[in-house]
Amino acid sequence: MSGAVLETSNLTVAYAQPDGSEAVVVSRFDVTLTPGEVVALAGESGCGKSTAALSSLGYKIPASRTLSGQSLLEGVDLLHLPTEQLRRLWGRKAAYLPQDAAGSLNPARRIGDQIGEALHHHFGVTGAESTERQMALLDDVGLRRPQELLSRYPHQFSGGQQQRLAIALALACEPTVLVLDEPTTGLDVTTQAQISKLLRRLVDDRNLAMLYVSHDLAMLSGIADKLIVMYAGEVIESGVFRQVGYSPMHPYTSALLDAVPDPAGGRHPQGIPGSPPASVPTDSCGFAPRCRYAVDACTRESVALAEVDDRRVRCIRAVELRGALRRAPNNGTSTTSELFSGDTLLELRELSCYYRNKAGSVKVVDSVALTVERGEIVGVVGESGSGKSTLLRAIAGLHSQVSGSVVFRSEQQPVRARQRSRTALSGIQLVFQNPHSSLNPRHTVLETITRPARLGGMVKRGGERDLARQLLESVRLPSALLDRYPGALSGGQKQRVAIARAFSTNPALLLCDEITSALDVSVQAAILDLVTQLATEHGTAVIFVSHDLAVVRAICARGLVMQHGVVREEGTLDGLFENPKDPYTRELIAAIPAPPGSESG
Amino acid sequence: MAALSAEDNRIEVAASGESPRRWWRSVAHSWEGRIGLAMGAVILLVVLVGPHIAPYSPTENGVGPIGAGPSGSHWLGTDDLGRDVTSRVLAGGTLVLVIPLVANLFATLIGGGVAIWAVYIGGKSDKTVTGFFDVMLTLPPLLMVLVIIAGLGTSTAVLTGAITLFFIPRAGRVLRGAAQAVVANDYIAAAQARGEGSWWLVRREILPNIAGPALADFALRTTYAIIFVATLSFLGLGVQPPAPDWGAMVAQNRDLITTNPAAILGPIAAIVLLAVSLNLLADALSRHVSGAEDDEGVTL
Repeated sequence: MSGAVLETSNLTVAYAQPDGSEAVVVSRFDVTLTPGEVVALAGESGCGKSTAALSSLGYKIPASRTLSGQSLLEGVDLLHLPTEQLRRLWGRKAAYLPQDAAGSLNPARRIGDQIGEALHHHFGVTGAESTERQMALLDDVGLRRPQELLSRYPHQFSGGQQQRLAIALALACEPTVLVLDEPTTGLDVTTQAQISKLLRRLVDDRNLAMLYVSHDLAMLSGIADKLIVMYAGEVIESGVFRQVGYSPMHPYTSALLDAVPDPAGGRHPQGIPGSPPASVPTDSCGFAPRCRYAVDACTRESVALAEVDDRRVRCIRAVELRGALRRAPNNGTSTTSELFSGDTLLELRELSCYYRNKAGSVKVVDSVALTVERGEIVGVVGESGSGKSTLLRAIAGLHSQVSGSVVFRSEQQPVRARQRSRTALSGIQLVFQNPHSSLNPRHTVLETITRPARLGGMVKRGGERDLARQLLESVRLPSALLDRYPGALSGGQKQRVAIARAFSTNPALLLCDEITSALDVSVQAAILDLVTQLATEHGTAVIFVSHDLAVVRAICARGLVMQHGVVREEGTLDGLFENPKDPYTRELIAAIPAPPGSESG
Repeated sequence: MAALSAEDNRIEVAASGESPRRWWRSVAHSWEGRIGLAMGAVILLVVLVGPHIAPYSPTENGVGPIGAGPSGSHWLGTDDLGRDVTSRVLAGGTLVLVIPLVANLFATLIGGGVAIWAVYIGGKSDKTVTGFFDVMLTLPPLLMVLVIIAGLGTSTAVLTGAITLFFIPRAGRVLRGAAQAVVANDYIAAAQARGEGSWWLVRREILPNIAGPALADFALRTTYAIIFVATLSFLGLGVQPPAPDWGAMVAQNRDLITTNPAAILGPIAAIVLLAVSLNLLADALSRHVSGAEDDEGVTL
């Protein structure tokens, strides 16, 4: 292996606080990047991953201050370089790719011009030579017919293509170091798989040194050579990916891995209770409050990063826990074998949905037939644009351009929700994808979660508070949140409130629209757990829409695969996975990243 | 909480939701708000108490010499009919304040109501209403008011009506924009899915979320209306003599600019005080509103 190109050591970064003090958010971070190697930086949101990655390039995040450390890029310390000189190095030697690819492309300029500008700025290349290099770049990131694409604007590309363009732009100046911040979050599974494959190829072909920030350990296992796990601003475990990822020594790494849904279907994803502290704790292990293995000594003093065998780990019990945390292939509790009453709750007959636009009517859901039994959990899988969300909206009475029928409890339902009976409305509840937009910011948690029950006449005036308290308890939130507004809650808490609202009427059918896709893996697992548990308790049937087959497999017995509004395949999830008949199902399954340590990994 | 992530290092305001108390607090804590409130209090005091403490009758001729400068008995001097300018300034603010406020209130209720309704129904009705607003916006305001006054004569009611008409499309456009952003949220879909009626949707789901921008816009529009009413009075189309009015006084006392400049500076200062105080309050409100919106930014 050749020498390191970027060597960051002892990096400590603090943010200014509203009260004038400073909170240390990254403490003594170090990383070494070598050409041809991908280093993964993993951890939950709020653990300082992005701050560490950006600061190691010498970038000063507003309101942040680098307290100590050095970051050598080919021998030059980026942390003590004037901005003028940094600008010459950024792009040319080290490139950064932010999470939102569309945001890093200028919407008002043609792609060719944007890449051309970078080439001109750093190499002075113009004219035909520039065009040639632009085309070579687009070709390299897997975009076909580059000649035509150069004159297009960013909005004329899909999300996956925009990500490829952003990568091409980052590579335009042939940097030696590429830092990526969650480059595939928010993309479809199949696109995600293509992009990470592309990135791996680019690292090998161009001998790039890559730092890959992500919370998705499953996805990382397909691309990373080394793994650094961060918690509360500190590196808590680092080493070769196959070793750290497959036999973690730190309880946090292990917990992160347990949160990843296993496409092999063996294991139920486990959430991590609580959330990371807001700054680096100095007098104890930061993870101790959330750790299953914590002992008294953990809370007495801070823990040093120690060299143990093949890695570095920050846990006083690392050696003794090694055996306990080893990831055994689990073959126990699959949810897929439950028996159902055979009592039909919902029936969709030839349900089609349309959207009217200038050109006429577009069919987005095409003659879907589906039967849901009482208490059953059915998954609907497909990429964006497959019509799966529209299907849910039509069931809920939110989509009016519909043909076919929705039969709920043997009664055909009117198309619009407002024409339906109170009991039908109370019987079907909906949880949305984005908890930030599904709760009214001007309503308290109390008002929000009791409203459906009030409307259905299920709670008397004055009884709301008791009901709300019970509901919050059932979604494991403290009743102190009752009088708060959604603005004071975290994403995971908001989604729990949305779930509490849905269960307030004790519904017979719960519609879940990508309810975890806006959340961290550790939160996702907890939310999935909560929904399945509540559904079982209440005997509620669930239609669970997701783009992620692994998530669906974790909680559903039966599933539908949709593409372009058509059901491509239907059956038990075990059947779909073991013997997919439709080529599209096979494609989706192939795209799922296998978590490290799973049978399929 | 999430102070550790790079995207999320802005100062977190305790998000305890929206309430009049919170508006008041943030307005009273900004310097624009404080100055605006102080100036507004002064001018409000003049308008409310002024007519009762005026040393002379504001309409009585010859209480002093004609067109004389400030003196001990006439602080702002007298006008060309020998009336006391101080008394006329103290008594001349009622209509300049009341007409804009009332007209603006009607315009916001009518324009905003129609606009929110249209957004809520969507589709064709939204297009029709927006188109109608756009056509109304193309009419030159002064010309429109002139035509109305020419047809109906000048009176307080006509003036209020004309200004209401003028502001309906303006208030409607602003509130439509605000409502449109709100309607796209899933909590509206959630309310529809549980079968809420239109009245609940508009009153409880949409209105509280656009109240902030609506209020800021209302304050700003009132300043325009004040200047508009003052302009009309100056042109002789507004409040008619001999009733005292700041706009009309500036016009009437123009000829005295050499002998008693205080006779026009007095009413001008009053108009400025009123307009600037409202403008500052509007600034403070809109800053609070945009701050509150930032505060609701996505934090994961």
